[in-house]
Amino acid sequence: MSQSLIRPMTEEYEEFLRDESRTSGKAESISFPNGENDIKKIVDELRREAVPITLQGARTGLAAGAVPSQGHIMNMSRMDRVTGMRKDQQNQFYIRVQPGVILSQLRKKIELKSFEHKGWSQECQKAYADFCDAPEQFFSPDPTEASATLGGMVACNASGARSYRYGSIRPYVTSLRVVLTGGEVLEIRRGEIKAKGRDLTLVTEQRDSLKISLPRYQMPDTKNASGYYVEDNMDAIDLFIGSDGTLGIISEIEIRLLKMPSVVWGVTCFFQQEQAVLDYVAEIRRSLTEIASMEYFDGDALEILRQQKKKGHTFAQLPDIDEKMQAAAYLELHVGTEEEALDHLEKIEAIMDKTGGDAQHTWVARVDVDRDRLLFFRHAIPESVNMLIDERKKQFPGITKLGTDMAVPDKHLHRIVSTYRASLKRQGLQSAVWGHIGDNHLHVNLLPRNEKEYETGKKIYAEWAKEVTALGGAVSAEHGVGKLKAHFLQVMYGEQAIEEMRELKKQFDPDGMLGQGNLFAFQSKGGGNS
Amino acid sequence: MRIVVCIKQVPSTNKVQLHPETNTIIRDGRQSVTNPFDTYAIEEAVRVKEAVGGEVIALSMGIPETERLLRDAESRGVDRAVLLSDRNFAGADTLATSYTLSLGIRELFPVDLILCGKMAVDGDTAQIGPELAEQLGIPHVTDVSEIDSITETAIECKKETDHGYQHLKVKLPALLTVIKDINMPRMPSIKGVLDSQTAPFERKDAEKLDADFQRIGLTGSPTQVVKTFIPERMSEAVEIVGEAEEQAKKARNIINEVLKDGGVEY
Repeated sequence: MSQSLIRPMTEEYEEFLRDESRTSGKAESISFPNGENDIKKIVDELRREAVPITLQGARTGLAAGAVPSQGHIMNMSRMDRVTGMRKDQQNQFYIRVQPGVILSQLRKKIELKSFEHKGWSQECQKAYADFCDAPEQFFSPDPTEASATLGGMVACNASGARSYRYGSIRPYVTSLRVVLTGGEVLEIRRGEIKAKGRDLTLVTEQRDSLKISLPRYQMPDTKNASGYYVEDNMDAIDLFIGSDGTLGIISEIEIRLLKMPSVVWGVTCFFQQEQAVLDYVAEIRRSLTEIASMEYFDGDALEILRQQKKKGHTFAQLPDIDEKMQAAAYLELHVGTEEEALDHLEKIEAIMDKTGGDAQHTWVARVDVDRDRLLFFRHAIPESVNMLIDERKKQFPGITKLGTDMAVPDKHLHRIVSTYRASLKRQGLQSAVWGHIGDNHLHVNLLPRNEKEYETGKKIYAEWAKEVTALGGAVSAEHGVGKLKAHFLQVMYGEQAIEEMRELKKQFDPDGMLGQGNLFAFQSKGGGNS
Repeated sequence: MRIVVCIKQVPSTNKVQLHPETNTIIRDGRQSVTNPFDTYAIEEAVRVKEAVGGEVIALSMGIPETERLLRDAESRGVDRAVLLSDRNFAGADTLATSYTLSLGIRELFPVDLILCGKMAVDGDTAQIGPELAEQLGIPHVTDVSEIDSITETAIECKKETDHGYQHLKVKLPALLTVIKDINMPRMPSIKGVLDSQTAPFERKDAEKLDADFQRIGLTGSPTQVVKTFIPERMSEAVEIVGEAEEQAKKARNIINEVLKDGGVEY
């Protein structure tokens, strides 16, 4: 039966060898499970030969976590149903989804309160009726690429702009069902299973007891998506969030919603110097509390948008950006009343004045249509950079965009930015910088013009990883480590910690079948050393 | 040059979601918004002012809450705003509405140019612009996608038609209705938003306008909405997934069904 679920790789499936990281891999077979039973059947079949399995969602990841190195691809895109809803005593709503549900589609359903609820239990139907009567709700994680799947987001502990206030997806994942490579299933609800120190006991639905000893390393005190989440007395569910598809196969996810704030305004402020934005951000962080996100765009990123706008087509709808402006910061206010929001605007105006800006050069988005334009603006930057690199790849197929994903503690923001600028200047590399400046988490994108520059770029990327680690930061703050950042994980934690991670993986996946090449190299039974 | 731009408050979405238990429409609690076509009229009015000087006045007939949208227009470069608001205006059709708006505009005379959106997205009639021009006895051009030139006495513009476009020159004062191609509306600045809170704003009722009560609101409306319904969707998109053979089979079934329903027999 599982033979029909597992299909040989043919030309038809070629696109599944790649993801948004623009790297490409190899595989011998592929499957598209429709539910947990399919997953179990496929795993049972593949276990005999310990065939490596690479898990895929929408392949929007930037760290090549979904790119297979060999063996089998399990693509979760057909597991895209919302399976239920629940309300707790504090009137919070929870939604159960399969891992292939796409974020943008889920958002739309939440916004329109429109769910396909036939087949839900009576309890879920009741919760849905209450949901329809309740004030507007939202799901806070907002990676720029909204075509990501929920499963992929859990796998890399995705976050996005609003994580400045609300954190990554982690606290909003309240329950997971996970199929292990041995065929057992774990159902873990947040708050129910805690480690004792670094010892964790899990019981599968098949009544097997797993005694897990957790790695001993300390995680950085910043936004972080680098390696397994471990801490003393941790909640068992946190181990699987951000595990990059290496411990188990997530078959169902329950997420928690938040009540939408009454007033959501976006404010983009333009500046003539980068330094002014850094001062502005530090001051905003000190004086304003109701900020959901703080984003940055440097002069190169703005220039790329100006050029795209000139070319027309879709980008023609971008608003005009004054030629003098060399940097911009976007803030999102989440407040209770319009009076509060206006009060915040006055404070932002004063802070701009103080840090060398001018409140004339700002955009305030108070209505959906303006907010959508600002989102489009934000999304257009990485899209344009990818187009630029794709164009260059035609001449130099070996190059890719090199995008960093590192975060440092608050006090080191100015320092890390000057480190970035000094290296870029020294090497004369083209770049564009944007990202989540509120969390000191900038994506520095190196745009090599040839293979030599690509190699230079990789070197300075590695230097930065060392510097960030020395400052107490994280080498991957939201994209996950995948394959592209595995060597930085070692820089960040050291060989001893990586060995402990391998030991942890072995306890769930002894044959090393899952996510080969993600996070670290692992001696696997079915496919040699990855 | 004095430019009046007419705006209308519309619901933020035209999607209707029914409650699973009560089968009633779910109110999403979202604030209403400026009719999207009117935002282009606002931007064009401000651009004309910036090019030739003068002032822009935003005008609306609506409930008191519409003040928020008029102030939003002021944050985007409109100089002052007038809201025509009175319980007696309620239930107006396009004739009564255009009459009421014409009274508001007469109070602002001399006016050189009136800009409206092509239509409102809730009623979709596209009648207000032309009717308002007739009430005022001035020329009008609908579906304008570009203003070519403007002087104190005339305006040249490009009008989109079903079969192409026309360049027209009309004497001022005149009324234009605009489409989305005409510009890209700006976003307000912090300064614009803060200043708009104290910008000039006037509210006028039927008495102040010296309105003929037989010509306003429900009384002045010869047309009545008898029934509203959601039109049945005539087209449908289906995603076909699965193995190539599976997909071909599904595609064949769909084609067969369409042929059968369409009465085509093979």
